[in-house]
Amino acid sequence: MTAKSEGKSLLREVWDALSFSEIRTAMRVVLSHMFVKPVTFQYPREKRTIPDAHRGALGLLRYDDGAERCVGCDLCEAACPSRCIKVVSAENPERPLSRYATEFYIDITKCVFCGYCVEACPVNALAMTKMYEYATADKRQLIFDKKRLYEVGEKHIEDAKRYLYAHNQEKNDAESFQYRYKFPHQVAGLTPPQDS
Amino acid sequence: MALKPVTSPDVEAPPIRLTVDGQQVEAKQGVSLYDVISQTGKTIPAMCYHYTFDPFGSCGMCLVMVEGKKAPVRSCTAKAEAGMVVRCEGEDLFLARKKAVEKHLTVHPLDCPVCDADGHCELQDMAFQHGVTNLVNAKPKGLPEDRRSLVLDFNMNRCILCGECINICKDVQMVDALQFFKKEGTTHVVAKGDEGLVCEFCGDCLAVCPVGAITNKYSKYVYKPWQLKKTTSTCAYCADGCQMYIETSGKGVQRVTSPLSWKNKWGDRAETAKGHGGLCVRGRFGFQYIDSKERLGAPLVRTEEGFAPRSWFEVMDTVIGRLKALKAQHGPNAIAGLITARCTNEELYLFQKLMRTAIGTNQVDSSARYGHLNFTRALQHAAGVGRVMNGYEEITKANVLLLIGTDITETNPVASLRVKEAIRVYGAQAIVATSRMTNIAKLASHPLRIAAGSERSFIQALVKAAVEEDLVDEAATTAAPEAFAALKAAVGGLSWDVLTARTGTSRAVAVESVRLYAEAPKAVILCAEGVTRQVEGYASVLNLVDLAWVTGKLTRPGCGVSALPEEANEQGAVDMGVAPELLPGQALYGDEEARGKFATAWRCSLPPPDPSATLMEILKRCRDGGIKALYLVGENPLATLPASTGVREALEKVELLVCQDPFLTETGRLAHVVLPATTFAEKDGTFTNLEGKVNRVRPALEPYEEARPDWEIFAALGTGLGYPMEYEAAQDVQREIMKLLPGYYNLGEARPVIATPEGYLRNGFAHTVAVRYAAGSEADGARPFALTIGQVLYHSGKLSTRASGLVQLYPSKGRLQMNPEDLAQLQIGPQDVVRVTSAGASVELRTEANPDLARGTCFFPEHFNEPPIKDLAECVVDPTTGVPAFKFTRVAIEKH
Ligand code: SF4
Ligand code: SF4
Ligand code: SF4
Ligand code: SF4
Ligand code: SF4
Ligand code: FES
Repeated sequence: MTAKSEGKSLLREVWDALSFSEIRTAMRVVLSHMFVKPVTFQYPREKRTIPDAHRGALGLLRYDDGAERCVGCDLCEAACPSRCIKVVSAENPERPLSRYATEFYIDITKCVFCGYCVEACPVNALAMTKMYEYATADKRQLIFDKKRLYEVGEKHIEDAKRYLYAHNQEKNDAESFQYRYKFPHQVAGLTPPQDS
Repeated sequence: MALKPVTSPDVEAPPIRLTVDGQQVEAKQGVSLYDVISQTGKTIPAMCYHYTFDPFGSCGMCLVMVEGKKAPVRSCTAKAEAGMVVRCEGEDLFLARKKAVEKHLTVHPLDCPVCDADGHCELQDMAFQHGVTNLVNAKPKGLPEDRRSLVLDFNMNRCILCGECINICKDVQMVDALQFFKKEGTTHVVAKGDEGLVCEFCGDCLAVCPVGAITNKYSKYVYKPWQLKKTTSTCAYCADGCQMYIETSGKGVQRVTSPLSWKNKWGDRAETAKGHGGLCVRGRFGFQYIDSKERLGAPLVRTEEGFAPRSWFEVMDTVIGRLKALKAQHGPNAIAGLITARCTNEELYLFQKLMRTAIGTNQVDSSARYGHLNFTRALQHAAGVGRVMNGYEEITKANVLLLIGTDITETNPVASLRVKEAIRVYGAQAIVATSRMTNIAKLASHPLRIAAGSERSFIQALVKAAVEEDLVDEAATTAAPEAFAALKAAVGGLSWDVLTARTGTSRAVAVESVRLYAEAPKAVILCAEGVTRQVEGYASVLNLVDLAWVTGKLTRPGCGVSALPEEANEQGAVDMGVAPELLPGQALYGDEEARGKFATAWRCSLPPPDPSATLMEILKRCRDGGIKALYLVGENPLATLPASTGVREALEKVELLVCQDPFLTETGRLAHVVLPATTFAEKDGTFTNLEGKVNRVRPALEPYEEARPDWEIFAALGTGLGYPMEYEAAQDVQREIMKLLPGYYNLGEARPVIATPEGYLRNGFAHTVAVRYAAGSEADGARPFALTIGQVLYHSGKLSTRASGLVQLYPSKGRLQMNPEDLAQLQIGPQDVVRVTSAGASVELRTEANPDLARGTCFFPEHFNEPPIKDLAECVVDPTTGVPAFKFTRVAIEKH
């Protein structure tokens, strides 16, 4: 304010200073905003509605009969551009000839939420959810293991399904079961979904 | 003939010219058109073709247009003819090939995500290349997986009926264990007889299957190719020196694969004379020991309460302190060392250097002493060649192969493929003299079932027959008339009655065999444990040299005498001078000048040749108390030698027994200190294979827990003992060896061999020959059965018994194998216990019929010792080489 503004007469400057004109202008803006509906959300008291296509934390899904969908094919790992997935697979001792993941890790700190893994998955075992609150003081918690991933999937199953629909990966359970792989063919035991 | 003349150089065919894509090409008439095209550098898709066998023509991918023909033709089965005009590319061909892929895919399950071939599948590649994205009416076969066989699962849903598995098994392995079989309207690949597989389990069928129809039980579903790190290394089981890919994930070794694969189908068949790139059952399926939970994870020290883990620092301090004290008190000859020939060349070199410099004793030996030294010493002495005379190519291209005392298909399976190829492709005659009708004997033109343990007499009979029938080579014998006269006199002293009675063959058989051998332009003798590990093995090898010499086969190219060592680097152990009589490069330790050279290079004086000690002498001195400290590297004499040698007493007597091994062995349990060593898969270095080719060993894994490579431990010990060994890596040792033995590391090629028998024939031959043709003692009538303790295909030494995969294939059965007629005569049933009695011991066990054994012989695998069958044998030490012979004995068998 000390610098002399250009193009103002001295008189005008003195008047502005005496009448606090600048403060008045500022107050006008403040007061006018007090009566406008705020655009920010009062997070965490208030939460936003998230669109179905939103890319949030990843979860692993089960079929409706409780069987793990994931066949441990590792295509998600191959597709992941930031290399944050690790799958260890084996033959399922309980159901010979079926392949499953014995271990599954997603390092969510590295994940760039591109959704490629979900696209790569041939059985729609992976999906993104609307979950985004997993801040922690312990970074190790951010390497999601198989148990955690299935917990996420279970908790957010409806969102996950909506994600898959939104991304054109699944239409509805009955129809998708037509093209969803049951591996290998000679392994029995996957019951088609009841009409949902 | 079903041969492809283009790749069999011996087949005569007129040269022709034809045009491929506008380019003039020369070829031989009648060869596969596909081969002609691939010679021009073009690769056209082919799913049922592999260069190692004849074209089969089932997949319909290798289509080309030949001028004058309306439809595309299959180039693999089409024969090249003069003036053909061939087109390999074009929209029409692309679409025709695409149609072929689609045809395969319409009956395909498309379960790539769970298929073990995913990412390494030719059908997948072809579908991708030809843009097959939309299949209508796909109808998978829906067959159950065939899991009846050991190791291999057959999923016929994925089979494209290319026949590669059947063809490689029939043509290359000559096992012929697989066949097409029609069941309920679908063609399957099944084991012969539609049962579980009975075969050599080489896994070559698995390697060439272009899809996921054959899968490996030991790595089922546990990997995707992109998850694995692939390390090229050399197999550590036998001396064939096969190259292998060790594929590892964070969880250890997941599978082992071979250069032979459907992906390498564009080879030149002439090259297979040097090897086809495959592996045997041990190499491919015996990897589990590498990251086995039984591995030693930390150095152990024996305390009152048993073994206690200690830090490396502490243990090395103890060992060095104890060695120093013993040396100060009793002199350097109170210490001795033994090392296994499964170590790398660098380690073997460093070990003998450590013993001779830092410790200062010449009491150092390796497991090559169990037999291979009989061969190298004899050949060095007689022909100036300290190793086998023939490489793989010479074996493959020999006209006559004389196999004596070798179960080559069991001990050196991939080398046996060279013999098989000689028989199949090059039409060689094979004379196989053995007491077991092994697989190679079944394929041989002249299988001779000789009595067990009579190899020595049989060799004598051959030499005698050659001399008597005048099958001798003029030039060779006239050059050394004195030697020849002496030989003549020596064989004259042998009686045919004795020889035929011992061998169980007639004079006519010996004459026929030797005639065949003598008259062949290229003839190779192959021998192994039945000669080198038997009593008087050294003399027997010299007798074989006699045979080669009198028939003019010793110096002629393409001929020679060769032996098949058992462990991976026995030749290397000899070459690195890990024997009291040898220095690196097989210089004689007794040679003042050679010793001087190494003393200068190592900046230290070397111990005098006296006292030296070989393996058996070392054990004897341990027993007598002369040796107070024994350092064993990978050696397990307690489990190897029969009890009658007093091995246990020797090991219990020493004041300091240090065992360095990846596992806690029987011997290790007696040790005061156990040092954890690594397996070959964690090592850098080289192995010298039986041909004399130096092959790289590369680390595929980090050392298991606290285990360290052997060379590192040697270097630390040397330095601790006051002889600085400052090597940072195995390559530093390698550089030192290169300096001392220039030319040793010509990696990749076996060095040519020139035999120089002149000196040997002139000096001393006449004096020693008579002894070599002495008849020896009579068999004892009270113990009518011959017991051989030998190797089986599925195992190698004791090491393979730590590989769960191989144990599944061939577990310890604890049964004595006998000829079924003998069993019937003695009225022994499978549940009956028999008592087997030898001169010094007896054991009780059950029996098992094995029709491959000659009557009067019985067999027990050397890898197992339940019940303690090895203790039946007595041990005879060769007077010249100190090689202990203990794999053969005479026994009496009675029903209990
Ligand atoms: S792509 Fe799907 S089925 Fe395959 S490993 Fe990943 S989550 Fe499992
Ligand atoms: S064989 Fe090939 S195409 Fe068939 S399922 Fe396996 S990977 Fe897929
Ligand atoms: S494993 Fe070897 S021997 Fe057995 S069927 Fe396959 S190719 Fe033949
Ligand atoms: S099993 Fe494999 S190699 Fe054998 S015919 Fe079928 S696809 Fe070919
Ligand atoms: S054991 Fe011998 S033949 Fe078998 S893969 Fe190893 S080196 Fe080759
Ligand atoms: S490669 Fe010629 S038909 Fe298969």
